[in-house]
Amino acid sequence: MTAAKLDLLQGTLDLMVLQTLTAMGPLHGYGIARRIEQVSGDKVFLNQGTIYASLVRLQQRGWISSEWGVSSNNRKAKFYSITKKGRKQLSEDAVNWQRLASVMSRVLGMQEGGEQ
Amino acid sequence: MIDRLQQFFHRVTSIFRRKKLDHDLDAELASHLELAIEENLQRGLSPQEARRQALIRFGGKQQAIEQHRDARGLPGLEVLIQDLRYAVRALFKNPGFTIAVVITLALGIAVNATMFSLVSAFLLRRPVVHEPDRVVVVTSINPARGFLPDTNPVSAPNYFAWREANNVFSDISAADEDRTVSLTAAQGKPQALPAAAVSSNYFDVLGVAAHLGRTFSEGEDQPGRDHVVILSHELWQRRFGSNPSLIDSTIRLNRENYVVIGVVPASFRLLGFTPQVFTPLTLTVADRATSARKDHNLHVFARLKPGVTLEQARLEITNLARRSEQDFPETEKGWSAAVRTLPDFLVYNFGIRNGLALMMTAVGFVLLMACANVAGLLLARATGRQKELGIRIALGAGRLRIVRQLLTEGLLNALIGGSVALVLAYWGINFVATKMTFNEAISAVPLTLDRNVLLFVLGVSGFSAVLCSLAPALRASRTDINTVLKAESRAASAGRSHSRLRTVLVTCEIALAMFLLIGTGLLIRGLYVVEHQNLGFQPDHLLTAGINLDSARYKDAAQQISFVREIIPRLQHIPGAGTVAVTSDLPATGPGSVRVQIKGEADLSTNQARNARDEVVSADYFSAAEIPVLRGRTFTEMDSATSSPVVVVNQEFVHRHLRDQEPLGKQIRLDVTGPTPKWSEIVGVVANVKNYSEAPDEDPQVYEPFLQRPVSSFSIMIRTKADPNALASDLRSAIEQADADLPLLHVMGMPAVIDLQKGGDVLFARMLGVFALLALIFAAIGIYGLIAYSVGQRTHEIGIRVALGAGSKQVLRMVLLEGLKMTAIGAAIGLAASLPLPKVFAAMFTGLLFSEPRLYFIVPLAIIAVSMLATYIPARRAASVDPTIALRNS
Repeated sequence: MTAAKLDLLQGTLDLMVLQTLTAMGPLHGYGIARRIEQVSGDKVFLNQGTIYASLVRLQQRGWISSEWGVSSNNRKAKFYSITKKGRKQLSEDAVNWQRLASVMSRVLGMQEGGEQ
Repeated sequence: MIDRLQQFFHRVTSIFRRKKLDHDLDAELASHLELAIEENLQRGLSPQEARRQALIRFGGKQQAIEQHRDARGLPGLEVLIQDLRYAVRALFKNPGFTIAVVITLALGIAVNATMFSLVSAFLLRRPVVHEPDRVVVVTSINPARGFLPDTNPVSAPNYFAWREANNVFSDISAADEDRTVSLTAAQGKPQALPAAAVSSNYFDVLGVAAHLGRTFSEGEDQPGRDHVVILSHELWQRRFGSNPSLIDSTIRLNRENYVVIGVVPASFRLLGFTPQVFTPLTLTVADRATSARKDHNLHVFARLKPGVTLEQARLEITNLARRSEQDFPETEKGWSAAVRTLPDFLVYNFGIRNGLALMMTAVGFVLLMACANVAGLLLARATGRQKELGIRIALGAGRLRIVRQLLTEGLLNALIGGSVALVLAYWGINFVATKMTFNEAISAVPLTLDRNVLLFVLGVSGFSAVLCSLAPALRASRTDINTVLKAESRAASAGRSHSRLRTVLVTCEIALAMFLLIGTGLLIRGLYVVEHQNLGFQPDHLLTAGINLDSARYKDAAQQISFVREIIPRLQHIPGAGTVAVTSDLPATGPGSVRVQIKGEADLSTNQARNARDEVVSADYFSAAEIPVLRGRTFTEMDSATSSPVVVVNQEFVHRHLRDQEPLGKQIRLDVTGPTPKWSEIVGVVANVKNYSEAPDEDPQVYEPFLQRPVSSFSIMIRTKADPNALASDLRSAIEQADADLPLLHVMGMPAVIDLQKGGDVLFARMLGVFALLALIFAAIGIYGLIAYSVGQRTHEIGIRVALGAGSKQVLRMVLLEGLKMTAIGAAIGLAASLPLPKVFAAMFTGLLFSEPRLYFIVPLAIIAVSMLATYIPARRAASVDPTIALRNS
């Protein structure tokens, strides 16, 4: 494992999957994994296999749905798409994440001696 | 929230759709790889490299599958199901083992459940009253020691004084629980019923509403308005067919008309109190008089004021009692008062707690032994399974997981054992219930397999599961893979530490069995002694019956005397009847104790006061009971109200109170109720009679002639030539001719009276005997199992010994010695532990003698014999080991 690659925080992957599906429309598991890798500029350390645990979790909560279909190059694959409930959840979570991220960047930006 | 619920639902259902979901996942992962490989090929990689890259990027496939499963299902539950499935498989794989474990646990749990049903019925059932812990019972403490001296009822004057002066009770009521009424229903024969006379606010204090009709209202305890009655639910059902229109109708009680105003709920039952009829308690001016202070006949129930604690109430009542003592030293000297909450009082007053605690301890030991046996079996099997466990650990099973799995197995065993135990306990409880009928208060308490017992069985099963599988489980989890997998299956080193733990367990079992057997032996011996003691009179061929003369027809002494004078000749005319007598108390049934003063002797202080048991008897009492007359004379028809008072005393009286001086002619005064007692002359001395048929004590006793001090409640005694019960119907009709409205109480032979008196003790000793026997059997099974197992393990070693020239006798001796060592150590520990038992029992069962030194030889011998037998069977097998077979087997 390369130290430079980011370990995923708990729950981050779920959010990434939701966002990817919103942006790209229905996708299969491999497609979602590839897309996340590409967008992150290969900075995220992701065993592609781990995406399936995230997918089943999101599906059980009713935020995404799935159905078997055929890929562009005529291969059978399971396609996932975001549901209405999933979109709502995504917008809430995204706001939370941005708030947290800005707080984190401010906290980490503190200079020694308490001055900014 | 709904999302979570939905997720949980999916997780649960996914456990049952495991196959389909796994299949789906497989297909999905396969398509994932294909897509990845295809993309890599398009990027120009060789087919081999494309596949390799795809696999790398995917990561561990098995890991992904596991993650997916964990995310979609309930991992904890799935492990449990897996463990259970595994445990069930293990159970069926070795049915003999399973049956042994289940039966052992079932027996252990069943005896505990049966005993616990008694605890649940007598100690845990709370009285169905409003806020029972705020209701208190005020009792007097008798300075003369005796059985539960601090549960004496309160005298009426004290009740009045404390009712008026206290600041701690919001309401206070009194009940005379010790009455008998005769009920004459339409055309029916008169029937005697236990009754309570209660103050009009009694049900209000307890917070009990009538099931039907109403309870007493204020003023109904005043003379003139007091002819109202409330019936128990049981009486209403049994005698009046649950007829609701009974309310406001009139019934005959003690020859007078009473209006039925209510029926109490079926649930209202105070442990130890079994009144069928409630009438108002009318207290008059006479009950406030100083002379009434000797009559301790009221149970005082009170409700604490809001905010007042039990401790405050206790302090206040103690102070009030002290004030009474100061104001009336003559009667109150040494007396004090106690306050208990209602639930506490009922259990304490019933006096069953110690006995039950002892029984529960005994069955607790039995359960421990059952668990020790099962633990021994599991340890033995653990050795056989070590290889299996070693492999599982090597394959990556966590130690916690192994412990968890073995505990699951234990739990399954225990739960099956518990279920079987429930069936056994159901029988056991029914059996005990049919035997627990030796008095009304006991039979009034229903024994059932109730919720408490069910919970108890569940708890005990879980507890035994942990107890018997924890040691093997922990040991197994410490398995060292290397040694286990390397070692030969019959390696002696693997078995040694197991058998050391088992040896300790079996030794403890032997010690426990020893302890229980000696304890039970002592009890049985103590009971045997009193059962076969000479009571001082001849109980065989004696028919008895109780009579309670009601005050409506028999208002005064003259009428009571004339009734007795009328019936005695009638009874004597019954064919087959010999001498007839009446007595206030049947012999050996515990007559009451009174203070005695001897003329010419200074008044002694309270704690030195002379006490004697006091019995009122008719002239022929001594010849009817066949009590030998030692000196002087007994009573005659001439000792009547008009002649000078006389008494007869027993030998013990002469010995203890007169220091063996000449008794005849001495004047004594009995501190009995009523007008100031007169001095009476001792005219005769009779032999001692035991106070109680079930205890060996003989107290000083005084007999008074019925004609001089008649009582309204007494027993008839008829000496018969043949079976006394044959005369019962003649007795009934003779009394009916004298007074058709007078009911007879329990007509029975004197031996039956005695049996009833000690019925509880005999049942108690029998049950303990069963438990001790069970303990012995468990110990025998334990030692047999251990030796048999150890012989089986050592077949190889024994084979070598035999091959090297050891004779079968030597092998036999070696194995027997192994068993004997354990037995000797266990027996020594058990013996030491049971040395203080006689003292413990003597404190618990007053009056019984528990010295039986022979037991301390007999029981160890018996235990050694049993354990030698248990050892001998496997030892003979060892001795017959054929070295060629034993060595070839390896």
